[in-house]
Amino acid sequence: MVSKDDVRAMDEELFTVIIGGQAGQGVKKAGEAVSKFFLEKGRYVFEMDDYQSLIRGGHNFASVSSSTEELFSHHMRADVVVNLDKTSYEMHKKNLTPDGLNFYNSDEIENGEGIGLPLTSMSKEFQRPQLIMGVTGIAVLAAVVGENKDSLVSLVNSVYPRGKEDNTAFSKLVYDEVLDKVGSTLDLKEGDCRNRMFPGNHVIALGAASAGLDIYFAYPMTPASSILHFYASHGDKLGVTAVHPESEIAVANMAIGATIAGARSMVGTSGGGFALMAEAFSLAGMVESPVLFVLSSRPGPATGVPTYTEQGDLGFALHQGHGDFPRIVASPGYMEEAFYLTADMLSLLWKYQTPGIILTEKHLSESSMCMDVDPSKVRTVDPRMHEEDTGYKRYLFTEDGVSPLTFPPSKEAIKWNGEEHDEYGLTTSRSEEVAAMHDKRYMKEKAILEELKDRHTVNVYGSGENVIFTYGSTTLSVREALRCSGIEAKVVQPIYLRPLPTWELKKHVEGRSIVVEQSVAQQFSTLLEDKIGLEPTSVIKRYDGRPFDPMDLAGKIKEAIR
Amino acid sequence: MSGDLDTGAEITWCTGCGNFGILAAVKKAVKKLEENGIQREDIVISTGIGCHGKIFDYLDLSGIYSLHGREVASAEGIKLGNPDLKIIAFGGDGDCYGEGLAHLLFAAKRNIDITVIVHNNGAYALTTGQASPTSPKGFKGPATPMGSVEPPIEPIGLLLSAGASFVARGYAGKVKHMSDLIVQAVEHPGFAHIDVVQPSVVFTDYYEEYNDLVDELEDTRSTKFEAMELARESDRLPIGVFYREERPTYNEELLGERNPVKDRLSDEKRLKEIRSFLDV
Ligand SMILES: Cc1ncc(C[n+]2csc(CCOP(=O)(O)OP(=O)(O)O)c2C)c(N)n1
Ligand code: SF4
Ligand SMILES: [Mg+2]
Repeated sequence: MVSKDDVRAMDEELFTVIIGGQAGQGVKKAGEAVSKFFLEKGRYVFEMDDYQSLIRGGHNFASVSSSTEELFSHHMRADVVVNLDKTSYEMHKKNLTPDGLNFYNSDEIENGEGIGLPLTSMSKEFQRPQLIMGVTGIAVLAAVVGENKDSLVSLVNSVYPRGKEDNTAFSKLVYDEVLDKVGSTLDLKEGDCRNRMFPGNHVIALGAASAGLDIYFAYPMTPASSILHFYASHGDKLGVTAVHPESEIAVANMAIGATIAGARSMVGTSGGGFALMAEAFSLAGMVESPVLFVLSSRPGPATGVPTYTEQGDLGFALHQGHGDFPRIVASPGYMEEAFYLTADMLSLLWKYQTPGIILTEKHLSESSMCMDVDPSKVRTVDPRMHEEDTGYKRYLFTEDGVSPLTFPPSKEAIKWNGEEHDEYGLTTSRSEEVAAMHDKRYMKEKAILEELKDRHTVNVYGSGENVIFTYGSTTLSVREALRCSGIEAKVVQPIYLRPLPTWELKKHVEGRSIVVEQSVAQQFSTLLEDKIGLEPTSVIKRYDGRPFDPMDLAGKIKEAIR
Repeated sequence: MSGDLDTGAEITWCTGCGNFGILAAVKKAVKKLEENGIQREDIVISTGIGCHGKIFDYLDLSGIYSLHGREVASAEGIKLGNPDLKIIAFGGDGDCYGEGLAHLLFAAKRNIDITVIVHNNGAYALTTGQASPTSPKGFKGPATPMGSVEPPIEPIGLLLSAGASFVARGYAGKVKHMSDLIVQAVEHPGFAHIDVVQPSVVFTDYYEEYNDLVDELEDTRSTKFEAMELARESDRLPIGVFYREERPTYNEELLGERNPVKDRLSDEKRLKEIRSFLDV
């Protein structure tokens, strides 16, 4: 085993803050404030929120890493750790860099390691002592890096519009206390990043909106829920209606219904909800309805670990729905890609009239990262439309299997049929018609494959004899591991998983190959074995619900290529 | 669309099946609706799976042959996509009162402006006559050879409790009456439900009993409670509109004046809005 200390981040400017506390102490908000602070210094930021499925108590933390260079992940070794309660103190002692500063609540812990702040007694005089606790995070950071008090106050004002006065007052108290106890000992360089940061789910939502999404249907399920919340609050402006019906079964079937009216529809859920959508997914394949499904994974099986991350749904996504029909499954490896890929998928599905999946994970959905996209670069493709006044057949045979669309009101009936059908869309069980319609749908699969061959389907980062295969949000962890450790390797990330761009991937089957993924059954590795005959030298996997810590991962990669 | 709404598909219902009555009533209703100013092409249908679902193939109207139990959800989706359309969902008692019951109750609750017609034949006909949610206790079918041990549900009371703003019962043997109900249901601004008592000549051939029992209502009941009481009467088979009220529809409350497919943002406007989100 390579111990963690063998691998230290080579990025001198990397600066990480971890804030831990109970649910209800404003840990997430504290992370947001720290992120904002870094952003205002022109630094690149990555924020990962670790929280449990409860509303009060328990243990939550936010890890915010930043650098003057572009970075791809949070880190679990922090320069500053702020523990708002005892559990946090116990948990995060191990997360300090050798020169890291550890802050804890000295009213709860006697003679702890690090710097004790009497947070309970300091907050007592305020109306809601628990609620203002979170502001400690940004106050500590501002003090130790020598930020002036006025800037702290204006930042607190902007991040905590509710309870402004108390938060500001408390932050000043903490700031003074920290200056008093340790002074400003840490150095923080300004960078030239001008980007804003977004959580992955908002990026997905904006991507779909920029491709003309009309309606988003969803039933709440972490980690997909924030897409629903985003559209519910901002959909009006973006021209997107948010609908929350009685179940995921309703969600998927309504979305198909909406496409019949001509509305671009998307749904979002996690594994359990996606399981309930199985039959409708198949219906979408049969009626040729281009619904875009967002599957944001959390650890399974069943309810699993609701607020954490995993890649255990890859096989499920690839095989969702009974019967043979074409579908496209794609998974973004970073924020910008989440934006363009979601937009692209919506167009692609309407072009080929078949369902598709954006497969992602909690780690991308709910982590926030700096992002720079240009919505005018989104390519929207109009679907093939029926132009004549007569002769409409919903399932007209064509060369590529794609039949022209038309929407009601229409003088000629438009028959979308979930039973096997003829070209008009009337039910049939005649052998030649059954086979012919299968052939028609299968032709679309081939057409999709051809289209993908002309597209950018695989991201390749870096170079070297060692090839690391990964996908989805794990790509972020791998890229950060390499960036910070200086390990030379080539990272190969398929953006599309079905059809899998084997023609591209095969080019990278050479030398030593490592697969990195978050599935105990190593589903991704198995897929590569099946499809491109990859025989990985080693498979690095993590399946405890947590994303990889980049330095930890770097250690494992080092070991694998030694 | 053919003048008589035929598609040319071969009809595979058993001779004498109550579904013929429903098909005839729908065709009549569509003609009447056209006279009343509703365009035929604005009527869109969805159907579940069962003998009832085959009506999809026999009506030259746009729509979707959906899944077993999901025709109501499909119908709601179409309505939300384009609220100017008039949607009629056709379900079975197994399909709509069993497999897909949640969709039905929620559609009623939210008062989305669609019409649901349930071909209630008291059996799962297409799957060879198993007991359905409306089969009486003691009903014998291949899955209950000794007789069903479950009592039936009473759909009208159920829908009224859920909040349906228009609830009616029709009878497959009274085509003219049923077609009037369909016209009223489609014209009703809100969720409209018609439970159609539909004998299956194979599994529930109760034409004679129903012909004796059937009783056309003169007017609707003024309270839900009275309507529920009426639905439970067993010495006669009251048909007609049991209850109606007007309340805001889900589609109007959710969308306001906006029609998702007609009132899209221009590309320019959308781009501008997205930019404003992305920019600092
Ligand atoms: C999900 C699913 N389960 C089961 C079936 C099989 N199935 C087809 S029709 C039917 C029952 C039909 O009963 P009902 O809805 O009352 O329609 P009817 O045939 O009586 O008109 C069933 C169980 C199916 N098609 N889909
Ligand atoms: S089985 Fe019954 S419901 Fe089905 S077509 Fe025959 S008579 Fe009608
Ligand atoms: Mg039935």
